Amino acid sequence: MAISTEKLGYVLQNFVSTTSDVQGAAVVTPDGLPLAVNIPNTMDEERVSAMSAAMLSLGERIGMELARGAIDRISVEGDAGFSILTSCGNDAVFLVLASKNAKQGILMLEIKRTVSDLRYILG
Amino acid sequence: MELMRLVITGTPGAGKTTFVQTVSDIGIVNTDRTATDATASLKPKTTVAFDFGRVSLGASMELHVYGTPGQARFNFMWDILIRRADAYMLLVAAHRPSDVSKANQILAFMNERVHIPVVIGITHLDCFGARSPEEIMNGLGYFDARNRPPMVMVDANSTNSVNRALNVLLLVLLMSRNKKHPETLIPNTSFSPTLSKPKVELTLT
Repeated sequence: MAISTEKLGYVLQNFVSTTSDVQGAAVVTPDGLPLAVNIPNTMDEERVSAMSAAMLSLGERIGMELARGAIDRISVEGDAGFSILTSCGNDAVFLVLASKNAKQGILMLEIKRTVSDLRYILG
Repeated sequence: MELMRLVITGTPGAGKTTFVQTVSDIGIVNTDRTATDATASLKPKTTVAFDFGRVSLGASMELHVYGTPGQARFNFMWDILIRRADAYMLLVAAHRPSDVSKANQILAFMNERVHIPVVIGITHLDCFGARSPEEIMNGLGYFDARNRPPMVMVDANSTNSVNRALNVLLLVLLMSRNKKHPETLIPNTSFSPTLSKPKVELTLT
């Protein structure tokens, strides 16, 4: 079955608009190309995608070489907010940009839920 | 122990990962992912962060060799890697005409940030439709053979060829260090005529 970009876009849109303090989200391929993107328009879609892929692959490499096992999630915490990368099957990476005020618990739960929706769409 | 950082950059599919793999003493750290863009027609996997390899030269010197991704969307990785590099090599595939303009972009990107020694490595010379190294150097804007970075022909799969290319890069780096004012801007005027034409030849077996 072909991947429905419409559905992907809808799930992202829904996630970004209903989860409080989430500023953007993207689903990208592991080699850094955008599949569906919903990010602040000050950011470049292609760059965000490439960075997500680079970060996840480095994280996975660390997991492997330093014996941390399979990587569930990579998070970068800055003084202005979080950027959280979650692996989304073999064919996709899910990136979430959240503000500093985001409640970690809710964020993680929502990410988990959205990842399972995305996995379903990606087949 | 002296540590030198060398960066291997170049166009997608030029042979950067293979180069680092061939040259490294250790199993390399690579970050290959299945390619889904135009690169997929060239090769199944593509580097998304960097390749890392290490070469020990006796007890006194160690080389850290970093291979960059080739696609311009990963130029933030080019930036990160080149800023800490001592010298770099630009690999260009001779059999793909589109490579020259991509290589020009990479050179421009690097020149904006650093002025360190560079060597142009020409790969895929054994492939159908490969153009001569001279043509490629001209395409990169280096028309004067005495006034340009050294050029080497590289077969990224051959240990001999890769080691020779690395030697040229090291030589250029050490020469530039011995000068009071390393004139390493491109086009390069600081090399003697003998050095700008390194006697490195591709051996095809």
